[in-house]
Amino acid sequence: MTTEEPAIHAEHLHKRYGDKIAVDDVSLRIDPGEVFGILGTNGAGKTTTVEMIAGLRKPDGGRVTLLGLDPRHDRGKVRQVLGVQLQQAYLHGALTVAELMGLYRSFYPDPRSSGELLELVGLEEKRGVRFEKLSGGQQQRLSIALALAGRPRVLILDELTTGLDPRARRQMWATIEHLRDEGVTIVLVSHAMEEVERLCDRVALLDAGRVLAVEPPAGLVALAGAQNLDDAFVALTGKQLEEAE
Amino acid sequence: MSTVIETRRPGVNAWLTLVVCEAKMVVRDTSGLVVPILLPLLILVMSAPSAGDQVVDGGLTALEVYVLPLVLTMVLASIGVINMPSFLAYYRRTGILRRLAVTPASPAMVLVAQVVVSVLQALVGLAVALAVAFLAFGARPPTDLGAAFAVYALAMAAMYAVGMIVAAVAPTPNSAVAIGLITFFALGALGGMFGGSGSLPDAVAAVGERLPFGAAVAALSAAWVGAAVDPAHLISLGVATVIGVATAALLFRWD
Repeated sequence: MTTEEPAIHAEHLHKRYGDKIAVDDVSLRIDPGEVFGILGTNGAGKTTTVEMIAGLRKPDGGRVTLLGLDPRHDRGKVRQVLGVQLQQAYLHGALTVAELMGLYRSFYPDPRSSGELLELVGLEEKRGVRFEKLSGGQQQRLSIALALAGRPRVLILDELTTGLDPRARRQMWATIEHLRDEGVTIVLVSHAMEEVERLCDRVALLDAGRVLAVEPPAGLVALAGAQNLDDAFVALTGKQLEEAE
Repeated sequence: MSTVIETRRPGVNAWLTLVVCEAKMVVRDTSGLVVPILLPLLILVMSAPSAGDQVVDGGLTALEVYVLPLVLTMVLASIGVINMPSFLAYYRRTGILRRLAVTPASPAMVLVAQVVVSVLQALVGLAVALAVAFLAFGARPPTDLGAAFAVYALAMAAMYAVGMIVAAVAPTPNSAVAIGLITFFALGALGGMFGGSGSLPDAVAAVGERLPFGAAVAALSAAWVGAAVDPAHLISLGVATVIGVATAALLFRWD
């Protein structure tokens, strides 16, 4: 661990919905420039955790800082440096790709160009197509492109490649690697082992709202005494990681 | 990582872009334009030929005294009570407001942009109805133009406020349309949309006149004739606005 100020620092986060505990004492320290995976089955608390980091949900207990800022209190500042792709978010259905691009770019002082964004996610041919006419995978790629519009220093991607075809998935991985080279801190919520293994510097394994381990992918495998990350996951959580999709 | 991060609110360009985008959403929702623009026009065209010849008050015709105030109120009510809430419910349901909440734009910007677009839509409805009434049926402008304009603006605020209540309580986009339509027809029926308030029982008509639709029709009618607008109607519209805004502020959910 470096002595540098962490890009994201979550301390003892708690969140419950009614009598169901979603996140139970989660602490994470994510370094600047790191690609950090959050892995777990459905209901492990992954999305709730990143939504608290993004300032979309108020923790019942604990605190989060993002580049030293409080995501809820310093909302205006945090939104300048944070890009978020939400797991289930729809965009204005009757607007075209180019119009949505123009809208989201207008929110930032120095946005990436539309051309660059469309190229990053491979949607150059779809400029004039309405959002509601795009396939699920294309909608997802557009949503990722919009998360990159403001040149974020921290990027949260919830279910990056779920629903993408293999070609689009590889293209998205290349995009993430490109962003890592630019020094962007990336939090990747995933249940795709191959993706985590290829992209992430470290992975937090979540189960039932708690952090079981934080290790590099190879470290998780070693910790579990397993042959690969899939087996390590089963060994550590006692659960099968369901296939993405 | 040590650069100072500044808060930069989206500027004029972002506001304009958002208003243009909301306008495109409204225009592309063709069916949503039928009720606010075509339905009032239909009522106007159907009633105008006879109402235009029927002199009722100081040389003014029934077209000016009854039909036009009713038609203009319908434009406002349908946009405010049916269309705007259905857009907001759709935005909330599909996560569009949540998506905007993680950008420097606040979801409240969408609310404001929707109101701006709705006002533009109401002005288009007004212009179309008046153009047809003036050019095709020889109607004359209100005797007290200033009062008519002020009443129209207040009625617009009241209808949007009622619409905000609908948007706040409706759990889904479909229910927003349903609640909006029921509210629209209930207010309309009590306010004399079907055959004038004279055909309603006195007690019902009295209640209807205190509700935003009936109050707007009565106040616009007074302005057209050049009579003093009954303060009770203005108070009704004002109270509806305050209750609507307060309810919405209390109950509206972004997600």
